[in-house]
Amino acid sequence: MIAATASFFSAMRWQDVIDILINSYILFRFYVLFRGTNVLRVLVAIGFLWFFQRIATSLGLVVTSWAIQGITAFAALIIIVVFRNEIRSVLQAKNIKNIVWGLPITSVSAPVSIIADSVFDLARSHTGGLLVFPGKEDLGEMVHSGIQWDGKISKEMLMSIFWRDNPVHDGAAIISGDRVSEVGAILPLSHRNDLPSYYGTRHRAAAGLAEATDALIVVVSEERGNVALAKGQRFSVVKNREELSQEIESHLGIASRQNAFLRRRILELGAAAAVSLLFIGGVWFSFTRGLDTLVSLEIPVEYMNRDQNLEIIDTTANAVRLNLSGSGTLIKSIKPDQVRVRIDLGKAVIGHNTFSITQENVSLPPGVFLRKVDPPNLDVTMDNPVKKELPVQVDWVGKMPENLILASARLDPEKIQVVGGSKLLENIVTIYTEKVSLENITKSGKITVKPVLYPASIMIAPGSRERIIVEMEVRSVAPSVK
Amino acid sequence: MVHWIIGFLFIVSGLLSSIMNMAPESFADNGAETVPELTLAEAAMGEGLKDGLLQNQAVAFSVGLGRVICYSSFDPVPQRSFIYHNWYYRDRLSTRTRLVLMPPRWNTYSYIQLREADKGPWRVEITTEEGRLLRVLRFSITD
Repeated sequence: MIAATASFFSAMRWQDVIDILINSYILFRFYVLFRGTNVLRVLVAIGFLWFFQRIATSLGLVVTSWAIQGITAFAALIIIVVFRNEIRSVLQAKNIKNIVWGLPITSVSAPVSIIADSVFDLARSHTGGLLVFPGKEDLGEMVHSGIQWDGKISKEMLMSIFWRDNPVHDGAAIISGDRVSEVGAILPLSHRNDLPSYYGTRHRAAAGLAEATDALIVVVSEERGNVALAKGQRFSVVKNREELSQEIESHLGIASRQNAFLRRRILELGAAAAVSLLFIGGVWFSFTRGLDTLVSLEIPVEYMNRDQNLEIIDTTANAVRLNLSGSGTLIKSIKPDQVRVRIDLGKAVIGHNTFSITQENVSLPPGVFLRKVDPPNLDVTMDNPVKKELPVQVDWVGKMPENLILASARLDPEKIQVVGGSKLLENIVTIYTEKVSLENITKSGKITVKPVLYPASIMIAPGSRERIIVEMEVRSVAPSVK
Repeated sequence: MVHWIIGFLFIVSGLLSSIMNMAPESFADNGAETVPELTLAEAAMGEGLKDGLLQNQAVAFSVGLGRVICYSSFDPVPQRSFIYHNWYYRDRLSTRTRLVLMPPRWNTYSYIQLREADKGPWRVEITTEEGRLLRVLRFSITD
């Protein structure tokens, strides 16, 4: 088992590791960006669909496999169309750094210092105020007539909520996290008799809620300009901001909750990262497991970086046969344009050049490996093209009718200009025409014939005639003299 | 007196101009004698010879004829010299015949025996001993 694991990891290339890490990170970023939205749920559902489709395929459930495949393809379209607003809001709300790097591990807690400052500013200006910090208990049954607010806490906002001309200034503001969730809330009044007589309705309301729940209520006295807080049966005056901050933090358990929150968030993200890594590792493994599938492809050879002054005159092969291996999935998905064989002619010289076809010459899709090349070497003959004027000769065949001879044949033009490799043209001194049969030639006249260019790399030079006119003179003769 | 002098000058200038006009030819005549160049007067391919004349000059010969002749006639032949008949089958030298030429003019020929394998395009290049190409005769051996 250990040996098999070691062998598996030793077979991995560094490119595979990077491949898995990159895609795991992309998947993890998807989770970070879309967590809490419906997009992520649908993506997970698509993942499951894909997984079931693979199982259906491996079990040979043809219709099921096709159906799931269709649904999966359609689901991807649905995500883009239906959740376009959510996708847009996620992408618009975050900058590039947050999209590719940032982690949502900062906790959302009440801005205690802002609240403490605001409370003492209210006290200094003799503006009454009532703030409720819920504990673990639900306040739903105790708090009535509150107006939904859900505004982020700021000093200006708190000051304006309790401003005398504000219709909601007599009610309580409910603080949830870093937001004011409700304003103008009506709290139950306390029936205690031990409260000082100068405490008005606001103080009684604070005491009433404190008695009934585990909430912390901060009261700012309009008449005296002092700050008091109520929790449970306790009702005490707070002297300064630090004391108030300490009381609020203690009530909210900010220090300990923050740590717990961070631990939970890091665990969640760590789990997401691990799942991403496992998932992509699994996908990679399913694609690349087993290199037992072989395929043989005939691929045309491409030549690059040819000197403009040189031409390829001849090659020993125009295509090579590649034996490739890889997983069945990858081998089946190979498209012809993904496999290329290229030979760099940058260093080729006039004459014969031998090139060995190695891994460097062959580009393959990832996960597909080259096993064999046939032929392993290619001979490429290079030459620089030149023009040459060559005489044309008719290639007569067959037999003249009895007692007739072809006395003469005048060609127009007698010579033609051809273009070809200099080495090649060195050895060519005549251009022959296509074969012209003598069988049907019974009288003098003209015929038009085509020159035969061999090898095929020779071409008639631009401007030179491609047809030869042959003016023939036919004579009758007596039986031949021997 | 003046008339005598003018008349004398006319005579002198006339003599000078006649000498100048004649000079090039005189010098040429007096130099080394011009050797006439060996000239190929006529060349052709034929089926045979009869009374020293080429028979059935043609550009296509049946292999059934048994042989084909390359005839060449030189006029003038300044001195005893040699020429070559180079026979090429499809641009490959098949045979080379050295032929003597005697002054003042000379007709000569070479021939090849034909075999089935000889069918195809041929040419004969007639060259001097120094390799100067005098004429190319193109023909085919056919069925």
